[in-house]
Amino acid sequence: MSQIMENPRGGCVLAGINSVLGAINRICPILHSGPGCCMQTTAAEQGQSGHKSSCFISGVSLPSSNMLEKEVVFGGTEKLRTTIQGAVDIIDADAYFVLTGCTAGIIGDDIVSVTQEFQNKGHAVYPIETPGFAGDSNLGYEIVWNTMIDQIIEENVPKDEKLVNIFGIVPYHDPFWSGTLEEIDRILSRLGLKVNTFFTKNQGIEDIKKCSGAALNIIVNPWLFKGPAKKFEEKFGVPSIRIPGIFIGATDTTKFVRVVAEALNLDNELVDIVIQSEEQYVYNYLAQAIGVVSWKRFAVVADASNAVGITRYLANDFSFTPVLVIISEPIFRPGDKERIIEQINDMEYAVPPKVVFAADQYEINQALLNEEKEITLLIGSSNDREVALEKDIQFILASFPMSERLIFNRTYAGYRGSLTFTEDLYDNL
Amino acid sequence: MANIQYSGVRESKPGRINDLGTTGKEVEENFRKGCLKKADRSFAQGLQCQQINSMAALMSLEDSVFISHSPQGCVGCSIMAVDMYRVGQAHRGIKNIKNPRVIVTNIDQKSVVFGGEQKLRDSVKKAVERYNPKLAFIYASCASGIIGDDIDAIAGDLQQEYPDTLMVPIHCEGFKSKICASGFDAAFLAINKYILKKEPVPKEEGLVNLFAPTTVSYADQKEMERMLSQIGARVNYIPFYSSLEKIRKIPAAQASTSICKVFADEFMKTLWEDYEIPYSHTVMPIGIRNTDKWYRGIAKVLGKEKKVEEIIAKEHERIEPLVAELKKRLQGKRVFICGGTGRSFAAAALIDDFGMELVGLETPTYDEDAQTDIEYLNGIHKNFVVDIANMQPFEQVNLLSKLKPDAFIGVPEWASKLSIPTTHVLDGKRPTMGYDGLLFLGNKIADQLQNPGFNVKLAQHVKLPYKDSWYQEDAFKYIKGDN
Repeated sequence: MSQIMENPRGGCVLAGINSVLGAINRICPILHSGPGCCMQTTAAEQGQSGHKSSCFISGVSLPSSNMLEKEVVFGGTEKLRTTIQGAVDIIDADAYFVLTGCTAGIIGDDIVSVTQEFQNKGHAVYPIETPGFAGDSNLGYEIVWNTMIDQIIEENVPKDEKLVNIFGIVPYHDPFWSGTLEEIDRILSRLGLKVNTFFTKNQGIEDIKKCSGAALNIIVNPWLFKGPAKKFEEKFGVPSIRIPGIFIGATDTTKFVRVVAEALNLDNELVDIVIQSEEQYVYNYLAQAIGVVSWKRFAVVADASNAVGITRYLANDFSFTPVLVIISEPIFRPGDKERIIEQINDMEYAVPPKVVFAADQYEINQALLNEEKEITLLIGSSNDREVALEKDIQFILASFPMSERLIFNRTYAGYRGSLTFTEDLYDNL
Repeated sequence: MANIQYSGVRESKPGRINDLGTTGKEVEENFRKGCLKKADRSFAQGLQCQQINSMAALMSLEDSVFISHSPQGCVGCSIMAVDMYRVGQAHRGIKNIKNPRVIVTNIDQKSVVFGGEQKLRDSVKKAVERYNPKLAFIYASCASGIIGDDIDAIAGDLQQEYPDTLMVPIHCEGFKSKICASGFDAAFLAINKYILKKEPVPKEEGLVNLFAPTTVSYADQKEMERMLSQIGARVNYIPFYSSLEKIRKIPAAQASTSICKVFADEFMKTLWEDYEIPYSHTVMPIGIRNTDKWYRGIAKVLGKEKKVEEIIAKEHERIEPLVAELKKRLQGKRVFICGGTGRSFAAAALIDDFGMELVGLETPTYDEDAQTDIEYLNGIHKNFVVDIANMQPFEQVNLLSKLKPDAFIGVPEWASKLSIPTTHVLDGKRPTMGYDGLLFLGNKIADQLQNPGFNVKLAQHVKLPYKDSWYQEDAFKYIKGDN
């Protein structure tokens, strides 16, 4: 079920699937869809995520059956067949995924059978039957992993007690995904762990195939990945822990480290050394700029995971005053909403802010404009700058969609990311 | 008066084709003989759908809400127009930059089974309650078209319910056309049908409709307006940063012209048929030759031939020494060009100003208009490849690796990974048009040719996604006839 939405953040499920696959090295999506879906789905996610797009293939480079009236009327499977053939002939990918646009979904083309023909010939071509109208890009992230669990990840892979899988950070839908995964990788590597981020370090389909050998799945998100995590445990016996929001700054990152250490029974001494040195690194810098960043009463508009992380860092570690937090993605399960609210209410000293769930831009704008308490800093997406300008307050572009800055490996997450975030808070006004 | 109402689908025009690999000489001859056949690609990469263009064309209109009757993904590309709108406001000195109001009805599984009418009604209701807009544009999509939602009937009904907001349904279903410019036509057809309605308005002496797509920068707008004011015209700039009032003024104009060859070209014909407004349909004013041609075209319609020659002579006097300097740096360099219909041919004319040689041209469609340009280009360049393609980077990189041009003009993403110096002429944020725009472009091309370090080093580290064997194949092997 999808809501009517003003200025929606991100695309349809097809857009989510396309962009998640685009972040995996040497994977080629093939779209069985209308003529605009390659551009539209790429623009909806990668195009609004700090101006970086898949290093391998994206946008109008994606193979597409470009279904026109003829295919709508007579079916498009023949067109799909020649499109897949061309793709495997000329594109040097490790795996190909056939994606379903609305057109193919509505007319009911049997993409599984066509894909099977190529599998029978030994090509790594996999079908994803979820059509664009089935949901939003968050669902796309889960669909990709369900597909991997059902069709790609191998069973009976030898266990590696030091290997962990990271889930919950959605490539492109979180503009800082690269940097965040790299920071998580850096921290966990210091603890002696091997980390599957799947989307950095040129990881590809082979890493995915073997990820069932992991000792633990770490889900960094307050609500996503519930279904796939359950399936993963049932099929491969890998348990999951959930970190209910991105961790920014020393307090929450240390908490994250301790939760992982406990789940994997890591050597306490090593854990203490790592935590001590990382925290010291952060505070050595913070101590060099005391009173430089002026105090703010802030509001956040972001996806749940980033909203939790940003709010908790600014309030708990930086002593800013939280006023209003708007969770700007559709969340339907009441339990998920409670988990998010719980994280935001759990303030060390500050009075917890108001929490609003609104994905529609008009509703978001109204919540910001009608807030009675003073707000002097707004952290949000490109869509939210309008209200900041109207209120004439400081604005930091830090959530999706993000059009006015270029993001490579920047992140606000972890120990080091919190310093980057703090740098960006400085306004000299 | 036209007997047959144009459908808005560009393929419906006889002689227009979208899929062909050929040369300049061959295509000119075959078109003349009527031998060009419709074809298709058995393997292709993504296109741009017409809905993208219908939305982008209007997204900067004041007091408007843009309702996409589609799943959420179909407003993905609107981000480009949204960005242009925001940057355009900044360029125009607006401090409180606004978002365009885009509402997606979010067709879902339920709508696919039961129809999406209620979602569209609810969306329009929200639009009116929130913004009380003067205009509500309702865009069709592949999904709404296939499930059979009758957006005209629903819009008609909603018009009764909300008399203060003009409902404008636009038929831009993606599957109807391979040519994204069809989306411009769909938007103008709707403007004519639902806003202008053939109603007579008093004429305004000197008023000229200047049609421009979103991709025209404010710098270029100001330059075009300056040039037109020199021949005594007042500009009604449509539809970028325009309004219902300015749209209603369209029939009052004394003449029309467009900045882009495939933007409002059909609409200007309609304005001639419905309101007897004469028009000039020439070329995109990029480069000396094209700028002259564009300028003379509209001057002729306005009866200012003498005046325009005086101005052109003066501009040439000013610009030619500067172009001569650029020519010294660019003479004889071999160029491959890829672009939309307007910009690709304009760029091909531009490089002639600098004495460069055309070796390859990629453009989305071939028709009578293209024939005129190709005849001109064949007169200058001995031998060049023509790829009739909407992008299709796999063909482009194959051709580039064989032709090995000194410079590439167009979307830089792929050529750069082959270490070829690249320059983009589609720049919606900086000047590219008129006599000064060509200096900006010339300097950009010359400087990038001189200093190609970024692309050279990039190519040493990053590979395009194609197999090595592809570069040995015929670039046009997937183009098949009989379609």
